[in-house]
Amino acid sequence: MSSKQSDNRNRVTAVCIYALFCCACLIFGYVESVIPTTLIAPGVKLGLSNSVAILLLINKDIKGAFAVNTARILLSALLFGSPFSLLFSLTAGVISIIVSALSFKIKALSPIGVSIIGAVTHNIVQIIIACFVVSLGCVYYLPILVVSGVVTGGAIGFLAMLLFEKLKKIL
Amino acid sequence: MKKLKKADIILAMCLIIAAFALFITFYLFKTSGKKVIVRQNNKTVYSGLLSNDNQINLKHNTVVIKDNKAYMKCADCKNQICVKTGKISKSGETVVCLPNKVIIEIE
Repeated sequence: MSSKQSDNRNRVTAVCIYALFCCACLIFGYVESVIPTTLIAPGVKLGLSNSVAILLLINKDIKGAFAVNTARILLSALLFGSPFSLLFSLTAGVISIIVSALSFKIKALSPIGVSIIGAVTHNIVQIIIACFVVSLGCVYYLPILVVSGVVTGGAIGFLAMLLFEKLKKIL
Repeated sequence: MKKLKKADIILAMCLIIAAFALFITFYLFKTSGKKVIVRQNNKTVYSGLLSNDNQINLKHNTVVIKDNKAYMKCADCKNQICVKTGKISKSGETVVCLPNKVIIEIE
């Protein structure tokens, strides 16, 4: 096989894997909506889709992580959301993936720490938007959302590491 | 496999301590509010004293002010988060019903 052909084949494989990850994220989104974590406080959720982003970041695929994350946010807003929810999830998603990608450069942190940073950033950004759009009173949810970000971020980071061990052959 | 590192634990501890510090500051600075404001689509639909018992019927929600406390009695939305939020009385507290864009605020 010529090198051009094998290059094309790699690209097709990459596109397929990203598409699979997007689908997985959409299903994660549904699974999360079934688990009533929002009873603790509005905005508390597991962030299962974040495991895919962290998984791709562990694999040093920053572009892929960014692409899959943005695509799944747009798709889930089209399928289940509204322009209003897109405003929340898109800004928070984009900012948190940028911060996660940057914090991967810190050698002292494992993927668990990176995931915690990503989750907490996501929650803080959502609170800031809610302060602008809804009311300043939303700032009172900040402490509980930071704690929930630490807990869920840690768990998701651990999950992403396990997934990476299983999936590194195909990535 | 890269396992949990010391820096991760320090990071998590710092964040949790910061959250508790925030929580305590918020709690200390909360004072009993005097005024209730109900807003729908960013327009004030009701504004009155917390000591005035009242019931405000909106299109999708019912707000009740009783015994110096305000709460969302019922809402027709799916998630019912606003109803489950319970009663509020301190300044800065809010009950938010996002699907219907209704906010109860204490000032």
